[in-house]
Amino acid sequence: LAKPQQKNDPLHRSKILLLGTRRFIERTISSRAIIEHDYRSGKTSILQVLFKNLPSKQTFYLEPTMRVTKHPYDTLIPLEIWDCPGNITVDTLGAPLSEFASIVFVIDIRDLYQQPVVKLVEFIVAACQVNPNINLEVFVHKAEKLQEDDKIENFRQIHERVMDRLVDESPEYEQVPLNFHLTSVYDYTLQEAFSRVIHKLIDSLPYLENLLNVFCSNTSSPKAFLFDTTSKLYVATDASPVDQATHNLCCDYLQMLNSFGPLYKSNAPPQADTPDSAKPSTKAPFYPSASTSLSPSQPVTLTYHLVTPHLALVASLPTPVFEMRRGLVEWNVVWFREGVREIWEVEKERSEGELV
Amino acid sequence: MKKKVLLMGASGSGKTSMRSMIFSNNPASLTSRLGATIDVEQNHVRFLGDLILNLWDCGGQDAFMDSYLSTQRSTIFSHAGVMIYVFDVESREMAKDLEYYRDCLDGLSQFSKDASVFLLVHKMDLVREGERSAVFQRKAAELDKASGDFPVKVLGTSIYDETLYKAWSSIVNTLIPNARNLNTHLRIFAEACSAMEVILFERATFLVIATSSSSDASDSVVTHSLDPKRYERTSELIKAFKQSCSRLREEFHSLEMELAEFTAVLDEMTKNTYVLVVVHNPVVETAAIKMNIRMARKKFEELQGDTLIS
Ligand SMILES: Nc1nc2c(ncn2[C@@H]2O[C@H](COP(=O)(O)OP(=O)(O)OP(=O)(O)O)[C@@H](O)[C@H]2O)c(=O)[nH]1
Ligand SMILES: Nc1nc2c(ncn2[C@@H]2O[C@H](COP(=O)(O)OP(=O)(O)O)[C@@H](O)[C@H]2O)c(=O)[nH]1
Ligand SMILES: [Mg+2]
Repeated sequence: LAKPQQKNDPLHRSKILLLGTRRFIERTISSRAIIEHDYRSGKTSILQVLFKNLPSKQTFYLEPTMRVTKHPYDTLIPLEIWDCPGNITVDTLGAPLSEFASIVFVIDIRDLYQQPVVKLVEFIVAACQVNPNINLEVFVHKAEKLQEDDKIENFRQIHERVMDRLVDESPEYEQVPLNFHLTSVYDYTLQEAFSRVIHKLIDSLPYLENLLNVFCSNTSSPKAFLFDTTSKLYVATDASPVDQATHNLCCDYLQMLNSFGPLYKSNAPPQADTPDSAKPSTKAPFYPSASTSLSPSQPVTLTYHLVTPHLALVASLPTPVFEMRRGLVEWNVVWFREGVREIWEVEKERSEGELV
Repeated sequence: MKKKVLLMGASGSGKTSMRSMIFSNNPASLTSRLGATIDVEQNHVRFLGDLILNLWDCGGQDAFMDSYLSTQRSTIFSHAGVMIYVFDVESREMAKDLEYYRDCLDGLSQFSKDASVFLLVHKMDLVREGERSAVFQRKAAELDKASGDFPVKVLGTSIYDETLYKAWSSIVNTLIPNARNLNTHLRIFAEACSAMEVILFERATFLVIATSSSSDASDSVVTHSLDPKRYERTSELIKAFKQSCSRLREEFHSLEMELAEFTAVLDEMTKNTYVLVVVHNPVVETAAIKMNIRMARKKFEELQGDTLIS
């Protein structure tokens, strides 16, 4: 119910607004020449890296965004992410803030000036007036640029300035739930933070988490994620805390599997006389899977099972369980897949059904 | 068997970065922390168990170069099996780089005239993708000219993509005398597994040392028209994944995949090698492939022993 509606959209997409600033620090070098230092916050980079598979190093070549662009993306729920130029205001956005489920505000971690804070607060105040349930997120971005101590210090300062400024507006804004994340396109902190942004938009999250908890307890798995395979965002995980190292490893694993597929894909026309192409209609649906075994001394196996065309279960399992009780694991995967597919169908109906 | 490998080129051209990625499993992101190499850093790395590569990473500052060419001349250039000379694609002092290169080539022909020479046009990632091949062609022509009659091989490289693995695979392959023999046996093994392709990697570096597909046009792989970069991309992917495992203090052991595109197993073949078996026939299961690998182990241990004796 908290989710806003838009009538002419064939799918009811959850809208996420990406905001940031574009500022130029001008520094006169000689009497004529002016060097402009560009503190673009990194919104387009974030979108391209997450949803278009752009390698992080290539974000360097991105052109500044000149107008609002909307990026649809279908995962467990359909999303629409709006990328805005740096000079956008509440009035020039072209849509009421009530339409958005979340606002993600991106600030360059080295940018300690007042302007982004002023703008952020302006949007928060305007958003809260029309949509008190809106999710507000702040990405303190390009975090890898700073050493650990400076990183923490700048993060703290940005946090403090935003809160001070909000309270200046009105003491009641002290209660506004505002989530701060340290992010960078050069590691998986971005995927982790954005995953947390979309969790708040998934109504069926508790059911998914429950399915994952049951899977973990049945297979002695210490950690399992349901990942969107292309963006490497996880739409849900079991109840155990997410440790960054494990999350990184799972993302790297997905990255490797995504890259392997096309590498050995045969482009040869399928041969007509292979035995199974004779009767394709009766074939059971094929679900890609993979496993990698690690640390022969303290053996762990990372498993990968596709459960819908875009979602995969990635779990870490004790290797003895995976090897000796393979049947049990596979059975639990089948059961998990059924559960997720049911939820997926419901989510699909929900987003399509609201059309009428 | 021991082979001396000279790694030379101007300071900052990327010699130590490459060496640390290939032989010490450092990720590319950490290479910016490397300091300039002082004089010569010698390293012995074991390759395929019995082949010892004696790497001479020669710091490239002018003072060092001058001394390599004069007082240290015979020490540096004698008994070399390979010289790898690295050129920064964005070098602003190409004339000077070329002059030093020609002097080194003279030194090499004087003391090790049978050495193979590889010229790497490095940091290709700094050139925009669309211009890369043109820039490389131009550089390669310039380097060929500077090399006179000496037979050299020019390769474009970057630590940020698979070109690094392609170049180093072809470098180490000149040091393995009987690698051809391995190719033949891999082909037989591939047939036994109904595999479309089988690839053998050196364990520590994950460089490709042999493949089941030959380069002749009648080969089945050509009709399958697979990605031409697949070998070095595989090295790069597995190396990257091994690194992420080690960051978690885990150690990579094996990989099985039943993807929509193919079925494959990557597993230990011998003490010093890994094998990747790729099958396109969906009827073949990973368990069967693993069994075949297990049965082929002994044969390949023997073959590998022969490979290094020339
Ligand atoms: N963009 C880019 N940078 C690279 C590449 N390879 C190395 N570098 C960078 O180049 C710098 C110098 O690299 P080194 O490996 O220390 O250079 P070197 O040739 O060993 O230098 P000396 O030891 O002084 O002779 C480092 O900051 C590396 O990160 C590459 O392929 N692309
Ligand atoms: N170091 C670093 N640079 C980044 C990161 N994210 C984006 N950038 C750079 O920031 C610049 C501006 O990015 P862009 O996405 O176009 O900013 P936008 O105007 O907010 O959309 C580009 O040169 C990116 O390469 C990051 O996490 N770390
Ligand atoms: Mg060096």
